Amino acid sequence: MRSPRTLHGGLEARHSSPSYTLGKRRTDHNLLIPEADLKGLGAELHYTQRGGDITFHGPHQAILYPIISLRSIGIGARNYVETLERSMIEFASVYGVKARAGHKGETGVWVGDRKIGAIGVRISSGITSHGLAFNIDPDLKYFEHIVPCGIADKEVTSLRRETDDMLLPSEEVIHEQLVSCLAKAFSYDDVVWKEDPSFILDNQEEYKD
Amino acid sequence: MAARFLWASRAASHLRISVAQRGFASVVLKDLKYADSHEWVKIDGNKATFGITDHAQDHLGDVVYVELPDLGRSVSQGESFGAVESVKATSDINSPVSGKVVEVNEVLTESPGLVNTSPYEEGWIIKVELSDAGEVEKLMDSDKYSKFCEEEDAKH
Repeated sequence: MRSPRTLHGGLEARHSSPSYTLGKRRTDHNLLIPEADLKGLGAELHYTQRGGDITFHGPHQAILYPIISLRSIGIGARNYVETLERSMIEFASVYGVKARAGHKGETGVWVGDRKIGAIGVRISSGITSHGLAFNIDPDLKYFEHIVPCGIADKEVTSLRRETDDMLLPSEEVIHEQLVSCLAKAFSYDDVVWKEDPSFILDNQEEYKD
Repeated sequence: MAARFLWASRAASHLRISVAQRGFASVVLKDLKYADSHEWVKIDGNKATFGITDHAQDHLGDVVYVELPDLGRSVSQGESFGAVESVKATSDINSPVSGKVVEVNEVLTESPGLVNTSPYEEGWIIKVELSDAGEVEKLMDSDKYSKFCEEEDAKH
């Protein structure tokens, strides 16, 4: 019988100025305007090693990057991504928003046919980097310049849009709630915010864009 | 880009992630060797063919892209040489043995799904010329690997 031991995970919560990011497959054909025009929009373009297609990151999104050793909890990419989806769905339900996981080939979180949460992950030696972006109240016009996640003809939405005239709490509170849904989904009971990420980053290779 | 960091811990023995249990055990072939990062190797003289196992493809989900290394490139045991993408996740593939890449399975560029449907045959990923035949000793045989998979799956 195994004696109980403690597993640790990290999570990076990011705030982004407007930027478009591409995954490993470099699907730049899904950027609908010339790269030179991005500056005029106040946006940047970043290439990453994550999975997934092109997406937009900007203010008023919850951008969360769990740093977890999947091997230590014995799950693979599929279960990990499904757990991220479930966390966002549960979080949305707190606001009465009925979200669902994507159909085959449409990983992410949807409200009807409108995408509210995106996922793009990298797993290296079983350790996760990148993660999810949930739209709280970003400027959705930025999404018009891309084919979001490579899926044409589907809208992008936000918590703000789906909750209509509901009074939402501060973004900080919303963030904490989503983080707590994530921690719960991965069975983490003890959660502490720290300023210095070095203890998480010690054995990780690059995980930033 | 500003960031804040969170540190979380949990007891390893608690099973609380609800994951739909698949009813079958993964396929493990007797004449192959296995790495703990779920790659299989078939040795033929000083050549080795490898790919990812049935357990790996099942845990990845539908593979939509395979990143193949260049011919002639060296690979080292335990180090990444390529990646697969599935469900918006890119997962590194590690080399079970060291050597030089002599062939890559170009078919995977058009049909990445072969990694799921035929992980040990049509879904082979690369062939290398071994640089150190002794390294094969460090790999698991089929019985050990089957047990390893069971133990790993029991963790959650």
